[in-house]
Amino acid sequence: MAEKNEPVNRRKFLREGLWAGGLAGLGAVGGFVGVRSTRGDTVWQIDPNVCTSCGNCAKYCVLEESAVKCVQLYSICGYCDLCFGYLVPEPKQLDTGAENELCPTGAIERTFVEDPYYEYNIIEELCIGCAKCVKACAVFGNGSLFLQVRHDRCLNCNECSIAAACPSGAFKRVPAKTPYLLKGADGKA
Amino acid sequence: MRRFYMIAVLGLWVAGLSIEAAAIEQFPPPDFESGYEFPDTTTPPPHSAAREYVDAAMLAIALAAATWLTYTRRSRRGIFALMIFAALYFGFWRKGCICAIGAIQNLTLTVFDSSYAIPITAAVFFLLPLAFALFVGRTFCAGVCPLGAMQDMVLLRPVRVPRWLEGVLRLFAWGYLAAAVVFAATGSAFVICRYDPFIGFFRLGGNLNIIVIGLCFLLVGIFVGRPYCRFVCPLSILLRQFSRLSKRRVTITPDRCISCRLCEDACPFGAILAPTAQSDEGDYIKNKKLLGFFLLLLPLLIAVSGWAGYGLSGRAARVHDTVRLADRIYMENAGLVTETTDASDAFRGTGRTADALFAEAAQIRGQFSLGGWLAGGFMGLVVGLKLAATTLRQRRAEYEVDKASCVACGRCYEFCPRQHAVLKLKREGQ
Amino acid sequence: MPKIEARASAAGAEATQRWYVAAVRCAVVAGVFSVIAAMLLFANAYRMKVSDLRDEDALAAMKEQFTKQPGDEKLLEEIRRMDIENRSRRFGHLTFSQRGSRLLLGGLLIFFGTLKWVATARRKLPCPMHQPDGQQGQRRQAVLGRRAAAACVAGFCIVSAVVALKGEIEFGTDKAAIPAPYPSMEEVAANWGSFRGPQGDGVSAYTNIPDAWDGESGQGILWKSPIPLAGNNSPLVWGDRVFVLGADEKNYTYQVYCYDARNGKLLWTGDVPNALNSEGEPLEVMEDTGLASCTGATDGRRVYVIFATGNVAAFDYEGKRLWLTKLGVPDSVYGYASSLALYQDKVIVQFDQSVADDGLSKVIALDAFTGRTVWETPRPVGNSWSSPVVVRVGETWRLFTVADPLAIAYDPATGAELWRAECVMGDVAPSPIYAGGLMLAIEPYSRMVALRTDGTGDVTKTHEAWVAEDDIPDICSPVSDGERVWVLTTDGYLTCYGLADGEKVWAHEFERASFQASPSLVGDTLYLLDVKGTMHRVAAAAEFKELGTSKLGDKCLASPAFADGRIYIRSEKNLYCIGSGK
Repeated sequence: MAEKNEPVNRRKFLREGLWAGGLAGLGAVGGFVGVRSTRGDTVWQIDPNVCTSCGNCAKYCVLEESAVKCVQLYSICGYCDLCFGYLVPEPKQLDTGAENELCPTGAIERTFVEDPYYEYNIIEELCIGCAKCVKACAVFGNGSLFLQVRHDRCLNCNECSIAAACPSGAFKRVPAKTPYLLKGADGKA
Repeated sequence: MRRFYMIAVLGLWVAGLSIEAAAIEQFPPPDFESGYEFPDTTTPPPHSAAREYVDAAMLAIALAAATWLTYTRRSRRGIFALMIFAALYFGFWRKGCICAIGAIQNLTLTVFDSSYAIPITAAVFFLLPLAFALFVGRTFCAGVCPLGAMQDMVLLRPVRVPRWLEGVLRLFAWGYLAAAVVFAATGSAFVICRYDPFIGFFRLGGNLNIIVIGLCFLLVGIFVGRPYCRFVCPLSILLRQFSRLSKRRVTITPDRCISCRLCEDACPFGAILAPTAQSDEGDYIKNKKLLGFFLLLLPLLIAVSGWAGYGLSGRAARVHDTVRLADRIYMENAGLVTETTDASDAFRGTGRTADALFAEAAQIRGQFSLGGWLAGGFMGLVVGLKLAATTLRQRRAEYEVDKASCVACGRCYEFCPRQHAVLKLKREGQ
Repeated sequence: MPKIEARASAAGAEATQRWYVAAVRCAVVAGVFSVIAAMLLFANAYRMKVSDLRDEDALAAMKEQFTKQPGDEKLLEEIRRMDIENRSRRFGHLTFSQRGSRLLLGGLLIFFGTLKWVATARRKLPCPMHQPDGQQGQRRQAVLGRRAAAACVAGFCIVSAVVALKGEIEFGTDKAAIPAPYPSMEEVAANWGSFRGPQGDGVSAYTNIPDAWDGESGQGILWKSPIPLAGNNSPLVWGDRVFVLGADEKNYTYQVYCYDARNGKLLWTGDVPNALNSEGEPLEVMEDTGLASCTGATDGRRVYVIFATGNVAAFDYEGKRLWLTKLGVPDSVYGYASSLALYQDKVIVQFDQSVADDGLSKVIALDAFTGRTVWETPRPVGNSWSSPVVVRVGETWRLFTVADPLAIAYDPATGAELWRAECVMGDVAPSPIYAGGLMLAIEPYSRMVALRTDGTGDVTKTHEAWVAEDDIPDICSPVSDGERVWVLTTDGYLTCYGLADGEKVWAHEFERASFQASPSLVGDTLYLLDVKGTMHRVAAAAEFKELGTSKLGDKCLASPAFADGRIYIRSEKNLYCIGSGK
């Protein structure tokens, strides 16, 4: 009987060993993670100085209405009368006629401040993040219009679909405590 | 005035055209006389960190509830309700993103990329289900995983998959796990997230191809129980191994088996093992010989499979942005293509040299080669052990649950006459 | 199920049956609803992905059209109508998809829920029929499992082999195998990729050039093809492709033409858009200059073109426009006319305009792949019509430019200025050349200055080798064989100077001949093309000796291009290939 029981015991012993090994493995991973993990989560954000305004943000977000929108950094805006983020190149008139306006959804609002300055606001419900105005503002203007992930909309996917499609590597994980990369007064983020 | 302004701006426009990089502050911000103040750029904050901890707590609670429902209550209904809750909370409410399956990749990236640190909640999502599996089996799959819940709920007409076929199809999950680890380790992609078939449902939108794949999984899932869990899910591979060792196992019967055979067809996932017939001596010797042969074959299998993995690594490396970009730049520089892409345009705008890019790409390709050998070799090992396992005969006197395959869904409870008897006793006792 | 059993009375069964039928109906309805919803959603997604984008393109095209016809009220109305339509449709589709997906989810929920009900209601009591797992069955399973596993390994190896054998670009290990992003020096030397050839000095790399032809009889002329639009630019030749540019003053059309060098067939025409000047009006220039006087450049992969509008564009050899860079309309008295130069993968534009004090002139290097500015260096000069040349000086490359009042040498890799000499004035049109260690710069009508090229900083006083002042041209650039240098004036004076000392060796006047094309050198023969299309061949020797003339009988202003055994001449309306078929 004792001989017959032996393999069972051996198997049991092996099983116990493996079980302990598994637990130890999990413990090791836990310990490693304890050392390496961050308390705060990270979120996705666009580095506006790397962004090439390719327009992928409008197309690749898992949300049908992209979580990326254009923002206006008022402190570096030139408040130009002839704003190329707002108007097509060589506009006939400085008005909101479809032939003059650059934004495909009319998401930029122009308000008179004082002669000759105008304030430009992004109407976020209309903005689709196509970056047309961003490109024009970067080339012809001060670059005060740029794209940012709006965290009230972003799902913060584990793998961001836009980041995977970003041609310039402008998408990165940033600490959730500083979730935006706004350009400073010197234009740098 | 307007005319003048236009000319002035156009002049600047012409001047500014070619100095894109220095475009900042072409027009100094004006000094307003009307007392205008700059509005602030709105920065809506991300969801508070507290939500992450709520998720982790929910996971722990759901796991505990699943365990309780499986072992103490033995209630299929309870588990089903928990499933619905899991699909609603972790699926539709949290949009499927904080997920134990995907956390494998976060952990891998943390190990291999020192600049990346896994969020603590992702670590919890990885560790807790495995820890539970080590003690009580796959209760995570039973009532906590929203992907499992989606499939479990649509299973209407189960079809039995032959055991041998199930084993072979499961090799795909092994390969998927190996590939996901290689892609995550090289920082190329989180393929598990990218090809999560149900994420489109949870988010009510997304990549059309993935949604179609998800629909296919659901349709197949009407007949084949939990196809993603059994043949694709990389976490199930880990959970299976941990569950094999688990301290407790799900039992069909609450007390004793009366060998009524009523539970025989109860499990749609092939996790109920029938009693075995006594095998004869000749069979035993033959199997022993075969086992020896397979164990001798193991190194060869590992080598061949590793080589095959290496062969795939060149193609796989192109999933990595840098490698793809380097290939593109190479083709453009060599004059094989004339058009540039957004990515190559952006690269040329950075002023980095192509040589540096090629060197980086070569390094990543090297990582993929190594990864290919390792992943391939690993698959060889898996197949070899699977072959060896075919020679082993386990003796069972009664109907038993296959610890690895059982997802603790609780379907079999209701097939057991003892369950009803015990329930009745309990009810009368109250 | 115990509950069903419990209610197994006749009335109970009837009620169950009623519920069962209701559930089945409900499932069918929900299923049909879900399928329809799914199909509508797919159609909606398709519209968002495909047709909405198409409409956007159509709107963009209409807007583009509107810039050409600013007064077209009908078009304007159409643009506005389409714009509002596109916007409302876009947001309509978004709302549709959001609501639709919720409805679909609801439909699926009801579908599966009711089906579940149905399945539960119809569940049969378990009825064990299988034989216990016999030895035979176990053996069978094992064998099948082994076979399938083996098949998997084999399949894995086959897939891997197929993928691996398909061939990937492998590089990074062998540095020498990485090709340069530009043609080799040998390739450049063997072709005629820029104005006045590889070094911009009008010297042919080939000596097997035809010496006699006749335009009237067609003798010696391989082919002749009409050029759709006019221009004073020279042909570019690379392999079996010939490129010329043309522009139309009236319709503001700017085009590049690619011809097959073998038969003169026009292979494709590429369009470059118009540009408006600072007044917001289309550009107008002096008729003699025209809008297409700049010669482009080509490196065997792309052809780069520039017009008087300051628009630079690149086309691939199939005629696809790869990039367009708008430098802005240059302020040039007669109209911008400097040709492009190439250095490795950079397209160099000598963008001289206005007067020196305005500080608008600059030299720009554009990335050949993208048209993006790689470097640009301001130049304290006024507008000029000369072309930059990139030449090899010893082991280094130099970019030489001439404009009122400076001859400047740059490093073509970085745009850094290396030296400058204040030595030319006026409206500079002749381009500099580099010969015998000297850079030769011409001040129209008055001086030819030879500068030693090893200086730094301001070399006006230190590096002037010599100055020649007799019969200096205003348009044509000089040509040299390394021993002597020849200049040719518009009214037909050909003067030979010693290259080393600037001493006049000889002079000759071509009676009744006028020249605008720059002189070229083939072996030891000068090829001089006059305005009437007559090629004068003169010995490049210590004494004047006319070797012969060949008449084309067509108005020729552009400098000819030389290839292996061939001359390409652009007349006012035609492109000629002189030579014999290979």
